[in-house]
Amino acid sequence: MKNLFERNWVILGIAILMAFLILFPFFATDYWITLLVLIFVFTVYAAGWNLFSGLTGYTNFGLAWFIGVSGYVSTLLIADHGFFWLFAWPIGAIFTGIISIGVGYILLRIKGVYFAISMVALTEGTRELFGTEYLAPITHGGKGVPFVAGIRLPTLYWSILLLAFITIIVCYKVTSSKFGLRLMAIREDEQAAETLGIHTTRDKIIAFVISAFFVGLAGAIHFTYQNYIDPTFAFNINLTLTPIVMTLFGGVGTVFGPLTGAVLFTLIHEILWAEVTLLYMAIFGGILMTLILFFPQGLLGWMKERGILPRIRKI
Amino acid sequence: MIKEPLLRIEDVVKKFGEVSALDHCSFDIEPGSITGLIGPNGAGKTTLFNLITGVLQPDSGHIYLKGEEITGKRPYEIARKGVGRTYQIIRVFPKMTLLENLIVVGKGKERKMIERAMDLLRLVKLDGKKDDYASDLSFGQQKLLSLAQVLMLDAQLILLDEPAAGINPTLQNELMALIHRLNEEGKTFIIIEHDMKVIMGHCEKAIALNYGQKIAEGSCDVIQKDESLLEHYFGR
Repeated sequence: MKNLFERNWVILGIAILMAFLILFPFFATDYWITLLVLIFVFTVYAAGWNLFSGLTGYTNFGLAWFIGVSGYVSTLLIADHGFFWLFAWPIGAIFTGIISIGVGYILLRIKGVYFAISMVALTEGTRELFGTEYLAPITHGGKGVPFVAGIRLPTLYWSILLLAFITIIVCYKVTSSKFGLRLMAIREDEQAAETLGIHTTRDKIIAFVISAFFVGLAGAIHFTYQNYIDPTFAFNINLTLTPIVMTLFGGVGTVFGPLTGAVLFTLIHEILWAEVTLLYMAIFGGILMTLILFFPQGLLGWMKERGILPRIRKI
Repeated sequence: MIKEPLLRIEDVVKKFGEVSALDHCSFDIEPGSITGLIGPNGAGKTTLFNLITGVLQPDSGHIYLKGEEITGKRPYEIARKGVGRTYQIIRVFPKMTLLENLIVVGKGKERKMIERAMDLLRLVKLDGKKDDYASDLSFGQQKLLSLAQVLMLDAQLILLDEPAAGINPTLQNELMALIHRLNEEGKTFIIIEHDMKVIMGHCEKAIALNYGQKIAEGSCDVIQKDESLLEHYFGR
């Protein structure tokens, strides 16, 4: 059992998997490429959510705010200002990261359910704002923005694959670092952490901004892929809830939980949708309830507890 | 020559609504001393710890550490200046391993930090459990872990909130012996304790609070002889 986790084998396994994923567009149909694009978009959303909320315990119910703000900024740059997508995406993400410093500074003082609700309020408020006619000269109001970024599907696929890979490496590095431990200490007992010399406000804001940046970058790619954005779509509560459910599914606070969750969730969703279209929501709900009842720590958490996986932070 | 006090509490007032938790309280703590803080429930002892560590802010008055004013500073800043505390209700990080509980507090290079953390775990005899979650420890062991965290912080002034409460006599003796050893190495302690035997047996000096006021201060013998205090304390 132990050999299975030996460093070299793990690296070899990841290398083979990456080679397969990189070559994937050369032999797969558009349907499968599209499916993987969505899996990786949601992997980044879930991993980004987990990086902040899974480690600090501050439940962020405003993930769609990161996605929508960055999606809008990048879309408007591409559609109205003729920006090349490769530049528009990071500008959207960096913009989101920068305003998240201010948002975090204000909202990260509130804890628990109040923080969660205030993030929902921020998202809903921003959705309203982007849809008003007053801002229509900039945002196109509620009509939305159809656009073509001139990017081919394989290129888009490779971009999001690279982003998902980098995001997971960042999560891995953070979780096994002292910074990650400090975030967990905040989750466990914020006041005790503070009286042990941890600058909790600063650490929370840094984690919040890293999360905003990666989720924002994935959001920009997401809307470029959809060729369309409007306020309802960009700030949709489902963009917040789905990644959270995926993370719960895979294991909160683990490195590979969000990835596992995103892959399984999307595949189950896809199969149910294709096979039992009319009942899929009911069956899906049943699966979710079962998981939450019997595997509250998520799949990876459960496997760690049972000794199937080693109980270390790096997984 | 009079030594500069390590900690100076100067005319500190803290009110919760109409209730004065601390009412013009002043005293000095000498470096290298062990001071007992006694008084009935609600006397303001824990509030005083919260004010010293910056968890609460006083309504008026000043707190100085080594002559430098720390009133109004954030808890993490005060902790980094060398003030460590434990809580009455133990507050270690449950879903983190013992080693992680210590490393998260430490500063500096990772390897040295792990070495230091292991030394401290050996000191409190918990090194065999380094990879267990803190939530798996007994209450008494969690108290020891909590003290190790404060030592990891390299605190010079250590505030202990009822360290002996709720743990068995053997562990209690070990804990007090450890405190004396650390004291000989130069650490200063303020200990809140209800058990008068602990205070009398281990502290050089005691400060008695009642209704937020300092009602007595002096060597343990003097305090013990003070009739009015005993009246307050034991309700004679």
